[in-house]
Amino acid sequence: MVLNSFLCLAVVCINNINFQRKSVIGYVELTIFPTVVNLNRIKLNSKQCRIYRVRVNDLEAPFIYNDPTLEVCHHESKQRNLNYFSSAYTAAVSAVDPDAGHGELVIKVPSELWKQGDELKVLKVYIEFSLDQPKGGLHFVVPDVEGSMAERAAHVFSFGYQNSTRFWFPCVDSYSELCTWKLEFTVDASMVAVSCGDLVETIYTHDMRKKTFHYVLPIPTAAPNISLAVGPFEILVDPYMHEVTHFCLPQLLPLLKHSMSYLHEIFEFYEEILTCRYPYACFKTVFVDEAYVEVSSYASMSIFSTNLLHSAMIIDQTPLTRRCLAQALAQQFFGCFISRMSWADEWVLKGISGYIYGLYLKKTFGVNDYRHWIKEELDKIIEYELKMGGVLLHPTFGGGKEKDNPTPHLHFSIKHPHTLSWEYFKMFQCKAHLVMRLIENRISMEFMLQVFNKLLSLASTASSQKYQSHMWSQMLLSTHAFLKSISNVSGKDIGPLIKQWVDQSSVVKFFGSFAFNRKRNVLELEIRQDYTSSGTQKYVGPIKVTVQELDGSFNHTLQIEENSLKHDIPCHSKSRRNKKKKIPLMNGEEVDMDLSAMDADSPLLWIRIDPDMSILRKVEFEQADFMWQYQLRYERDVVAQVEAIVALEKFPTPASRLALTDILEQDQCFYKVRMQACFCLAKIANSMMSTWQGPPAMKSLFTRMFCCKSCPNIVKTNNFINFQSYFLQKTMPVAMALLRDVQNLCPKDVLNFILDLIKYNDNRKNKFSDNYYRAELIEALTNSLTPAMNISNEARTVVSLNPDVRLILEEITRFLNMEKLLPSFRNTITVNCLKAIRQLQRNGHIPSDPSLFKSYAEYGHFVDVRVAALDALIDYTRVEQSPTELQWLLDMVQNDPVHYVRHRILGMLCKNPPFTRTSDSILCNEALVDQLWKLMNSGTSHDWRQRCDAVNLYYTLFGLTRPSCLPLPELGLVLNLKEKKAVLNPTIKPEVSGATLIDTPASIGIHGVGMCYQVDEEPDPVSLGVCGVGQPPQGLKRKAETPLGSPPEPGQVLQPQDDDARGGGGGGGGGGRFKIRFNTMEEEDIDMETVHDSQAFIHQHLHLLERPSTPGKEPPSVEQPMLSLPATPAPVFSKETTSASSKHGSDHGHHHHHHHHEHKKKKKKHKHKHKHKHKHESKDKDKDRDNSHTYSNSPASGRSIRSPSLSD
Amino acid sequence: MADPAVYSGSSGRGSSKAVTSPSENYCLARRRTLQVAVSALLTESGFDSAEKAAVETLTEMMQSYINEIGRCAKAYCEHTARSVPTLSDAVVTLIEMGFNVDTLPVYAKRSQRMVITAPPVTNPPVTPKALSAGQKRTHPPHIPGHFPDFPDPHTYIKTPTFREPVSDYQVVREKAATQRRDVERALTRFMAKTGETQTLFKDDVTTFPLIAAKPSTIPYLSALLPSELELQSLEETDSSEQDDQTDSENAAGNNLTDDPSADKENSILPPGSVVPSSKSSEENLIDNPYLRPVKKPKVRRKK
Repeated sequence: MVLNSFLCLAVVCINNINFQRKSVIGYVELTIFPTVVNLNRIKLNSKQCRIYRVRVNDLEAPFIYNDPTLEVCHHESKQRNLNYFSSAYTAAVSAVDPDAGHGELVIKVPSELWKQGDELKVLKVYIEFSLDQPKGGLHFVVPDVEGSMAERAAHVFSFGYQNSTRFWFPCVDSYSELCTWKLEFTVDASMVAVSCGDLVETIYTHDMRKKTFHYVLPIPTAAPNISLAVGPFEILVDPYMHEVTHFCLPQLLPLLKHSMSYLHEIFEFYEEILTCRYPYACFKTVFVDEAYVEVSSYASMSIFSTNLLHSAMIIDQTPLTRRCLAQALAQQFFGCFISRMSWADEWVLKGISGYIYGLYLKKTFGVNDYRHWIKEELDKIIEYELKMGGVLLHPTFGGGKEKDNPTPHLHFSIKHPHTLSWEYFKMFQCKAHLVMRLIENRISMEFMLQVFNKLLSLASTASSQKYQSHMWSQMLLSTHAFLKSISNVSGKDIGPLIKQWVDQSSVVKFFGSFAFNRKRNVLELEIRQDYTSSGTQKYVGPIKVTVQELDGSFNHTLQIEENSLKHDIPCHSKSRRNKKKKIPLMNGEEVDMDLSAMDADSPLLWIRIDPDMSILRKVEFEQADFMWQYQLRYERDVVAQVEAIVALEKFPTPASRLALTDILEQDQCFYKVRMQACFCLAKIANSMMSTWQGPPAMKSLFTRMFCCKSCPNIVKTNNFINFQSYFLQKTMPVAMALLRDVQNLCPKDVLNFILDLIKYNDNRKNKFSDNYYRAELIEALTNSLTPAMNISNEARTVVSLNPDVRLILEEITRFLNMEKLLPSFRNTITVNCLKAIRQLQRNGHIPSDPSLFKSYAEYGHFVDVRVAALDALIDYTRVEQSPTELQWLLDMVQNDPVHYVRHRILGMLCKNPPFTRTSDSILCNEALVDQLWKLMNSGTSHDWRQRCDAVNLYYTLFGLTRPSCLPLPELGLVLNLKEKKAVLNPTIKPEVSGATLIDTPASIGIHGVGMCYQVDEEPDPVSLGVCGVGQPPQGLKRKAETPLGSPPEPGQVLQPQDDDARGGGGGGGGGGRFKIRFNTMEEEDIDMETVHDSQAFIHQHLHLLERPSTPGKEPPSVEQPMLSLPATPAPVFSKETTSASSKHGSDHGHHHHHHHHEHKKKKKKHKHKHKHKHKHESKDKDKDRDNSHTYSNSPASGRSIRSPSLSD
Repeated sequence: MADPAVYSGSSGRGSSKAVTSPSENYCLARRRTLQVAVSALLTESGFDSAEKAAVETLTEMMQSYINEIGRCAKAYCEHTARSVPTLSDAVVTLIEMGFNVDTLPVYAKRSQRMVITAPPVTNPPVTPKALSAGQKRTHPPHIPGHFPDFPDPHTYIKTPTFREPVSDYQVVREKAATQRRDVERALTRFMAKTGETQTLFKDDVTTFPLIAAKPSTIPYLSALLPSELELQSLEETDSSEQDDQTDSENAAGNNLTDDPSADKENSILPPGSVVPSSKSSEENLIDNPYLRPVKKPKVRRKK
């Protein structure tokens, strides 16, 4: 598709949406310009659609529909290792990757039109399709109540992770394939259909019971940016911008009005900084229930979760909703209007949209909030990369090498968005915008915005052109174009920066310490780096160090070089004793300080390394406690304050206590810093328990700030008009509850204090809702809980309840019950009550029992409540090792109607796994392995994100290799009586082939040439050791990873032991085969011939495809006969079929789910289908290699073999 | 002949009501006098006898007439801020009622008029004295004496019957908190008793009853919309409601114009339906495709 033709117009028409049956009927008409003569096949993307007919220029066209991602590993082998799965999954996704010109739907252009093709005439491809109960792509929400669908607030909307439009209509599901659109949706007269582009008209059908919405999107747009939402929406035209329309579900209009009242400000902001008008003629926001993600942006519309709507009384949700809106709008410019050239360029778009979103945050919430946010994001990405290994923004694949995996540390491939774990993708986005910020640091914001403006104006010029002009590619952004634009605009070379952060993964880890040399009046700073542990890289280049001395603050730029650790920084201040002199700060402010705490010989107050966060780094810096205290008190940068607070945890002294208390009291100080100070103070107080003087930490402070003057034990009636003190008021009790006394219990004072806060809480005079405040008070109660004396489950009765706990439980019961009568916003109180109950159970105060959580986790509760209940259940499952609950959770993963909940269950199971690969558990058994395997193999084919979640969980539980709980594969070899030869047991073999794909060292072993740069990149000493030797050390390495890891390598280790009748000869043979596979490429062909299973064959094939042309190594011997001589493949296939069918016979039990995705017609032809697939793949490949003389292999010849299976 | 008949009737009624109250007696006496006057007038006009019913009717009319004169005269006098009617009030009244006042003196002095004996004097009824409590206040000097007296003191004097409430802040807060907590606890316990419950302890269902979690069909509604309680307090504190209301009226108006146009006749409607919708949004000049009316299908477009 991409390679040989252009799409220029797509018409999507959905005639019928049936909410009762959850089905959709429609057609698509694609207008295609061939760019090669003789276009005979068209590949499109389509998943789960039932396709009735395909016509090309009014001629019926035969088509084949094959989706390899439906079931990743086909035949029911006993293969259970993740390496194998990941490679198979990557291959399956590649096989239908629209960017590479592949697709699930292959349409043969009728031969009558070939002639026409010579003249490069337009082809119109017309496809009728329907969707029945779609599991992905479109989500139906149909509440089960009385009344018409409109009264029931039934609605449907499109969703998906990355390019997922193929789930709901056949298209070229690529971000780089642009075309203009005509969209028509016929819906019930009581409904509204919201879609991309301009609503041209709405027309009734003849029976007047339905209306058709006609949309036109004149701006070239990629299919993944097309969306749809249909429902009985209430319509709100934005009072400030009439071309903006908001839609929400019935009854929520007042909330919509309030929540949308500031959208115009965001619009104005972006248009101003980008000096560019919003590219589309209109904008629509739709708020839907059961949303897949909170925000998703499409061309000229965004779909949000309805839970973002709030009333004017809600404080906490307001900034969150604004952020979501700002995010959505930023993506309208970069992501929807400007699309990406390829997946490798995704980081640019995510980076730019994230970066301008950050600018909006800076403007709206202030510089402090912005810097705090940047710091948080930086910490997040550092934590992730140090834990999981690097995040690579701009992966380059191929590049002359085969099977080159740039991220060997990951258990999934980053070659496609659809194989990424969700967490990785989030971190990817996070890193992208941070890197944009680094670029801004380098070239200045002004240039940065000029670049954006240039990109946008290029794109908008291009968008108004006709398709023939081939200007549309200007609307696609590539890394190259972006960098070129930067160098054009700024004239600066940012190559090193890009190389460091974009082309390489990982972050930098600094350790800093210093000494003051009094004689020389020099600060001797030592900065070391850790670049050997996972997720770290070496940094060479400038670094800024800020030194606050008595005479002022001074910036120094040091050069980090290969071998120099020490840096001498001359100090400005000779000595301190200029008494009573004010000390100038960085921002020009001059302050009085009490200098008695500092070292008399040194003029240094504090030192900061890389204060502007212009490196993606983690700094562990050592300085004295008084320096941290000065930094906390007097440094005006919130990031410095946060760093100081974290550092002070290690210095539990009265001085630290005083510094923290002062910060807490200072209302000039940023509220998030003050909130963090609360928790630090609690920790310090616990550390200095024995020497603590006075009332419990923060109590007197809270009393002074929030309690009545006349009666200090009673809190003032709520007035949250000052948000800073509101947040502080919320946080302080939570932090106080963490205090512990000598018996490690929460002090009685504190508990009573919190109970009094609850008792005297009075919100009647307040303009704002206090639901978040009350929820935090419950959290405070939860925090005050400590383990009970008696742990045994039977002994936990009402009678034996600790009196304090009894009080707590009473409050929680009352709160939870009141919530039923007067529900709070987003049911925050129920959420925290559930957490509290789980905490009571875990600490042994009340019997551990999952039934309450199960009832709250059911479908029909508010989603936050469900997630909280599920979290509690997952914790229960882990603590009690309960198989029933785990099963219950997994059932919900499979059956719950809400995608988000399914995603969260898997996510939470990964975070808090019932067991891990290093621990032994009764839960870890074969049935569970099978179930999870099935889940990721075929059960989640409708949702990329969920499949990756399942892969993550599998990885967390079992690791990359074969799960240890599985029995060892009994036989190393299988005798195939028909073929009269022994074949390696497939359960073993593909694992090895998987390893070759995933593990770089292995591939190094194979293709020893041209690998030197890779070795450079790979600092891991183990793999360095491996590369020369090849396979065996690889096995050792994995063994080291898994303590119980002997099963995965049975091919080598076990066969000699397994030795009996056939083992003697076969074992040797097997060993030999290993050798062959890993040492010489030519031999691999033989291997392919003997493969007795079609699916494995495909994988082989696909892997071959992944290797870009290295002609010498290409094994053409197999494919050649298949392609050019149609007669030869027949016996091969028949052989395959028989062997496959014999397999069917042998373990039929595992096979039944094999077919269930395809409809009956196809069922019978199942085996043939595989054949076609080989054909296509090989043919494609052939074409790639040599475009000019492929036509000898005419479709006709191909057809002669497959004609019985064609369904035309 | 007539008179005795009238008399006997009235006397009979009088005897039957011999034991009535003084005020009733007074009324009866007055009516009797009136009846005599009517009879005299009738005789004067030359009637020999009259049926009882006719006399009664005429009496009734006479009474109404006199009443009306009195009422009107009183009204005129009050209109001019006086409390007692004067002659002029009576004259104006008579004129107003269409009576030629000039003929009155002549008629009064007519020769053949009959003289009626004065009715027996009956005491006007005494209204029973209401229970008076305390001393009535006399008028202060600036109020003229003809103004009505002050009512009894108990009607306007505060007489505290309870103890001074405790205004101590701490106690009030304490009380409010306890009261609210008691109410909440009682309410939730009641709900728990009457509905399904869940429990945290298997052995003891009653100590910490939890109202069972029931899934709702549209869970986001209750979770997002502010409760009525909260709305009330919002209305008290917030004044920005007005804008919203006008907005919602607009939207509602547009919806209305949208939908009826759908249901009414087909061909003539489009222009008709456009007018109101454009009118309603005229002040905003909103041209939004979602607010435009839905078009009728073109007949030609059928297949």
